[in-house]
Amino acid sequence: MISVGKLARTGFWILLIGYFLLPMLAMARFAFQTIPTFLLTTENVFQGWGFGSLTVAFQDAGVIKSTILSLQLCATTIALTFFVLVPLTTYVEVSAPKLKPWLTGATVATWLVPPVALVVGVAATFRQVIPSFLTSPFTLTFFYSLWMLPFTYRAIDGQLRLIGAKNLFEAAQSVGCGPITFFFKVILPNLKSSLYISASLIFAAVLGEFTFASLLLKQTMPVYLWSFQSSQARAGFALALLVMVATALILGFAVARMRKRGLNFSATGI
Amino acid sequence: MKKIRKFAPALIVAAPFVILMSIFLIWPTLTTIGKAFIHEDEFSFFNMARAMSGTYRDSFITTAQLSLITSLIGGGIGLLMAILLRSLPVESKSRTLADSWSAVASQLGGLPLAFAFIALLGTQGILTKVLGAFGIDLVELGFSLTGLAGWALVYLYFQIPLMFLIMTPAVSALRASWFESATSMGANAWQFWRSVGIPILLPTIVTGFVLLFVNSFSAYATAYALSTGAGQLIPLQIRFILQGNVITGEDELGFAIVTWALLLLALSLVAVTLLQRRVSRWTEQ
Amino acid sequence: MTDVQFKNITKHYGAEVALSNFSLSINSGELVSILGPSGCGKTTALRILAGFIQPTGGALLVGGQEILDLPAAKRGYGMVFQSYSLFPNMTTSENIEFPLKLRKIDAAARAKRVNELLDLINMAEHAQKFPHQLSGGQQQRIALARAVALEPPILLLDEPLSALDATVRDQLRDEIRSLQKRLGITTVFVTHDQQEAMAISDRVAVMRSGQVEQLGSPRELYQNPKNSFVAGFVGISNQIKSTKIGDAWKVLGSSVSGPAGFNTGVAFIRPEDIKITPSPTGIAVIEEISFLGSFVRVFMSVDGNRVIADLQISEAEKLNTGQQVELTIRDANPLIESI
Repeated sequence: MISVGKLARTGFWILLIGYFLLPMLAMARFAFQTIPTFLLTTENVFQGWGFGSLTVAFQDAGVIKSTILSLQLCATTIALTFFVLVPLTTYVEVSAPKLKPWLTGATVATWLVPPVALVVGVAATFRQVIPSFLTSPFTLTFFYSLWMLPFTYRAIDGQLRLIGAKNLFEAAQSVGCGPITFFFKVILPNLKSSLYISASLIFAAVLGEFTFASLLLKQTMPVYLWSFQSSQARAGFALALLVMVATALILGFAVARMRKRGLNFSATGI
Repeated sequence: MKKIRKFAPALIVAAPFVILMSIFLIWPTLTTIGKAFIHEDEFSFFNMARAMSGTYRDSFITTAQLSLITSLIGGGIGLLMAILLRSLPVESKSRTLADSWSAVASQLGGLPLAFAFIALLGTQGILTKVLGAFGIDLVELGFSLTGLAGWALVYLYFQIPLMFLIMTPAVSALRASWFESATSMGANAWQFWRSVGIPILLPTIVTGFVLLFVNSFSAYATAYALSTGAGQLIPLQIRFILQGNVITGEDELGFAIVTWALLLLALSLVAVTLLQRRVSRWTEQ
Repeated sequence: MTDVQFKNITKHYGAEVALSNFSLSINSGELVSILGPSGCGKTTALRILAGFIQPTGGALLVGGQEILDLPAAKRGYGMVFQSYSLFPNMTTSENIEFPLKLRKIDAAARAKRVNELLDLINMAEHAQKFPHQLSGGQQQRIALARAVALEPPILLLDEPLSALDATVRDQLRDEIRSLQKRLGITTVFVTHDQQEAMAISDRVAVMRSGQVEQLGSPRELYQNPKNSFVAGFVGISNQIKSTKIGDAWKVLGSSVSGPAGFNTGVAFIRPEDIKITPSPTGIAVIEEISFLGSFVRVFMSVDGNRVIADLQISEAEKLNTGQQVELTIRDANPLIESI
């Protein structure tokens, strides 16, 4: 006898999983089946499948160029974010715990200003004062980095506390180890997990970021994709699907790896 | 001199952060807010008032409605998921899968998500066609991906996992001994959740709702991809003004809209902080 | 009559054996402690009784009825946990009232019962406080009151004192015992602390690796441990090599009776069973004398082995470190195990 509760629960999960799976499947179908929807019948539903749309996408010069730009932005954002956050977070955790609430608050504050609002701010300031600054697409790096601050901070801070960075510092000091050596030889090697997941998250986020790039008129991959899919719908969808699957795998793998180490990652950044 | 020496390492380490925040966040934001209150070279509420009138007010209301709907529904479903999965041990495969998936899905949004739903339920969508074969005409029923219901359906895709992510730590913090005590007294699951579980989770639940609301309100890319150009949602309204502006006075309006949006978000954040304090009081013993 | 009978209870977790042929009989109104090191299965046994774990095999009878098929929520036993189990969103009186509310007892009767219980544990003035405003000991008192609110037939306590400070622990331990006696409620008390178990129990079951090593009154266990594990776990013992000569065993010069079947063994002698007499021909040398408040502990060396004796302060007055002493064993029938 199956209880009502069990039935309801199973139904809930089926609906939920269906909700999350169907759109992706629909996207895959559109991307990889050459028969347009209105011509589909139960007879030809298994015909016309192929990865041809992906080949079209990869052969497009714009796709290649914009993807390269996006990948470069991933790298610069990761570099900048780590440069800005890692030493500071370590310092605060180890030597200035009183500043912790301020730092936490500051990183959360970045979340307060949504990208679209920030771009308006940029228009109000940069455009008036130094318009030339905005011409390079790499200026996006600064905004991306700001946007990723809460998540990265949480991950790094979490791991610093887990490894007992403060105690490690005191132990290091007692054997005469200076702070810089301590940072590079003790802290960094032990931060691998959080750095890895931060990099994965930044990678996934930057690769998919549309708002800043579009409003600042930079041809990153998502921005290009938008115009590309209006002429090459199938290829555009296929590429979007591919990117999504790739980032999902990278991120999912990173999260699973973190949980094995006992680190609870807060993707909300709160 | 000695004091500077003492603080030197702190200053060096903090400098990149402070510079980044100041130039790229604080300066633009403050300037925007400042300029929102200036009309014809003097301090005035003109822009702020205008930003809350007519079509702009409608946009605020529509965006708020969408955010409310998706945060309540998404919040409810996410909460249910967190509660149902809590009984599984942390190392189990299903749990890891759920955590990984929610981390990914909550970040999803924008174009790919919109594409996927268009492929599913758009006018040429596969599900639309399948439903049509069963005699259900979506267009006739008034459903459209460019309407409130359609947007809500799409937004839920990242709202639900976000709520799940927010609630999971709080649900995990519910001590087994609370549940077991209640059981030994004869309480069933429903009685436990009603009297103990939900009340304890309440601050986090409300936090979740607020965060979901804010998340939905700020969503730009998804809105952009699903709209037909008319700026019914605030983020699109802002863009519309931003890109069309050459005429003076129009960009002031943009600043005002942004300022209103920022005000709303700031209030939400204050609410979240106060609620978080309440949470730690109960679970930190 | 609420007696409890565990009959050959086994519990396997895959290849891991938590309980193996665990049998225990608890009489109605008795307080039995299950004592053992962590991992011995004591908490598993308790949780099987509570209904949170299903055993792999065996039978469990309460008042003569098999209860294994009864879900935990229907068993109605009071339970107190180690980690504070009070509901943090409710005040003290609301916590105690909760089980009463579940049974749909009317408001007036509930209020009366809550006040009764608050007086019983002397916490009436804290009725409106929340758990986080109370100390650990206070919280456990309330947990106790809540557990007995419905006058359950059995009370289960899972290391309720382990998380408390030493002074609070002793006090609360005695309060639990007097409450239990007053209510006459059959109680199972799980602990790893032998002092606790000995202080309050009618009988103690010492467990190791999923089985009961010995069941008996505290005195029995202390004076007549069945094996070296029990002897070592309950109180401290000297382990002294001894040999059989004729019919008697020789331990440190004294003759005692012991088992047959082997000729060399280890005798377990309690420190208070060793008498010290200064003597220039003595086999022992005093290394250290510690004043421990109500008694004196003398550390000696015999043939390179350490021997500990506990003496009354008056008995130890004439002793000094470095002295040579003669030892007499006061236990005529100690535990001797073969090597």
